[in-house]
Amino acid sequence: MTIATADTPRSTPNAGSLMQADAKTAKRNAREKRFRLYGLIAVCTGILMLVLLMISILTAGLSAFRQTTIEISVPLDAERLDPEGNRNPVEMASVTTFGYAPLLRDGLMQTIEAAGIETDLPEGDIADLISDESVAQLRATVLANPELVGQTVPVEVLASGRIDGFFKGRVTYETAELDSNISPEQLRLAEALEEAGLLRTGFNWRFITAPDASSTRPEAAGLGVAILGSFYMMLVVLVLSLPIGVAASIYLEEFAPQNRFTDLIEVNISNLAAVPSIVFGILGLAIFINFAGLPQSAPIVGGLVLTLMTLPTIIIATRAALKAVPPSIRDAALGIGASKMQAVFHHVLPLAMPGILTGTIIGLAQALGETAPLLLIGMVAFVREYPDAPWDGGLFDPATALPVQVYNFTQRSDPAFVERASGAIIVLLIFLLIMNLAAIFLRRKFERRW
Amino acid sequence: MNDMRFVERTVGNEEVKIAARGVHVYYGDTHAIKDVNIDIADKMVTAFIGPSGCGKSTFLRCINRMNDTIPIARIEGDIMIDGEDIYDRRVDPVQLRAKVGMVFQKPNPFPKSIYDNVAYGPKIHGLARNKAELDEIVETSLRRAALWDEVKDRLQAPGTGLSGGQQQRLCIARAVATSPEVLLMDEPCSALDPIATDQVENLIHELRERYSVVIVTHSMSQASRVSQRTAYFHLGEMVEYGETGDIFTNPRDQRTENYITGRIG
Ligand SMILES: Nc1ncnc2c1ncn2[C@@H]1O[C@H](COP(=O)(O)OP(=O)(O)OP(=O)(O)O)[C@@H](O)[C@H]1O
Ligand SMILES: [Mg+2]
Repeated sequence: MTIATADTPRSTPNAGSLMQADAKTAKRNAREKRFRLYGLIAVCTGILMLVLLMISILTAGLSAFRQTTIEISVPLDAERLDPEGNRNPVEMASVTTFGYAPLLRDGLMQTIEAAGIETDLPEGDIADLISDESVAQLRATVLANPELVGQTVPVEVLASGRIDGFFKGRVTYETAELDSNISPEQLRLAEALEEAGLLRTGFNWRFITAPDASSTRPEAAGLGVAILGSFYMMLVVLVLSLPIGVAASIYLEEFAPQNRFTDLIEVNISNLAAVPSIVFGILGLAIFINFAGLPQSAPIVGGLVLTLMTLPTIIIATRAALKAVPPSIRDAALGIGASKMQAVFHHVLPLAMPGILTGTIIGLAQALGETAPLLLIGMVAFVREYPDAPWDGGLFDPATALPVQVYNFTQRSDPAFVERASGAIIVLLIFLLIMNLAAIFLRRKFERRW
Repeated sequence: MNDMRFVERTVGNEEVKIAARGVHVYYGDTHAIKDVNIDIADKMVTAFIGPSGCGKSTFLRCINRMNDTIPIARIEGDIMIDGEDIYDRRVDPVQLRAKVGMVFQKPNPFPKSIYDNVAYGPKIHGLARNKAELDEIVETSLRRAALWDEVKDRLQAPGTGLSGGQQQRLCIARAVATSPEVLLMDEPCSALDPIATDQVENLIHELRERYSVVIVTHSMSQASRVSQRTAYFHLGEMVEYGETGDIFTNPRDQRTENYITGRIG
């Protein structure tokens, strides 16, 4: 072997000046630059898609969070509402919404008159300005506050869906001409009410808290029951799938002997993760409802089905997290006489925790957005009653779930439900966002320790 | 094999702590240890030397049954500690490992604080009755591993944040803290500077008074400095075993001589 000396620079490949990139380096740099560009384009495309999605959902759905209401002074006629005169809510409950409807209508007429607004609309058309839901609203208010009876009280009632749509730009004079449910005169009256300060648009708390309403009352439809139902199901999923999934993973990863049987289990778990979710719905229907006799539409059944669906995700994530812990840590613990269980619980598990939590939250987020299996176990039902608290057996009460509620809204003909459906999607996305933030926060918290 | 002669001589002098008879280790189809017979004396330092991949670590790991954790490893033969077969079905490897401590070839501190690293063993074995006792164990262990002065002000800092050599000494402190009767050290000084090496060698001398120490090393000078006995391994066989002085000055086997004089390894 000859040694290159200073007077034969060409024989050494790296002898050129460092101030100038040689052909090989230039080519390599160009390749790297191109690759970076491709990556940047890919990221930008992804972001663009996301932005488009967000824009379309937000433009369609943000208006669901605002609601038009009309303030009406209602004379609460004591003779009608409380014939016994005892102001006892139990007795007063015998008066149905039919008893309240005329009062509300009278109140509306008087309010319009008192505001000095002139209109030649028939009384029935004027009453169409307010939601059918408002009578029930009024009755509930009175039953909750019996002392109001006999007075004339101001009540904030929902405007009807079309009027609400008018103030959100969905309904115009032109569309009203063609619409059998609303006329331009009614819209003019609504504008007059707004000028008089009686009609206003504010934040729509009811959308978040109220139960669903019938398909003719989009303005009253809310997500309360769906949010509760989803929350209950997430509770069930978390309480069942986290311990079961983590225990199964620890056993499979750390304790199980490596043989055909465990290989089989492993393959099956991976396959389960790929099974279409609707299959889990069929399974849930067959096992939990038909065989075990659990009630339909109940969060407990939904939770169980979603647990089945989430388990493989959690197990796979947990096993990956456990595998990622260097074996030298286990050796170190075993080497000073820790038992296998001590090694796992004192050293391996804490290190795997960020991964386990991330997997769990991703699994939960998946479960939160899942619709198909819930349709099969009856969670698509129209539910207006809130489920009880979980400790009062609320898990067995009928409820719906957020994604199913979105599906439900989109099935209804009134265009106002488009807004509600998009609004429900926004709520769902906010929940997902919160869960992802929680995942990031927990991961940081557990990782920051070392 | 001519091992028996050395064995006889060993037995004559002092108490045997560890005795191996006809030990074979297989990793799947790889035959990593071939018929090793050795008597390791109590209160003495035994060095294992030999070229890389000859099975020193493998044999060391047999002595505290760390090979149990490798599914493909299979061990044949008997290993006795104080006359008890450690591969007997009644022996719990966890209990064995408390008695036979180990320092691994690669430093592997827990990702916990320096204090917790050392305190973990005493804690799980219930060696300290209160915090003060535990503190004392931690301090003496770190002192013996020649690490105390460097870390005494940051005991709560993560053990993984130490330098490679400091980590190795932390692992030594951790192993010492559980007061094992046998200490297996797999190249404990490979990442240490001469000063720390010197301190660890002093520790080994000190440990020798009470324990039996087995040390794997690639440094002949270290083997000759710290050990009383030396075993030379070659391709899974234990070729030669005897007084360290004899091995280095007067090797019987050609392979040992080649290795010691630097022709292989
Ligand atoms: N976990 C394992 N799986 C399979 N083979 C192994 C394993 N560990 C060691 N071996 C093999 O066993 C033989 C002995 O390895 P060992 O680690 O005991 O060598 P060593 O003498 O400690 O070498 P070094 O001085 O490099 O540490 C080698 O051929 C190695 O490839
Ligand atoms: Mg080794």
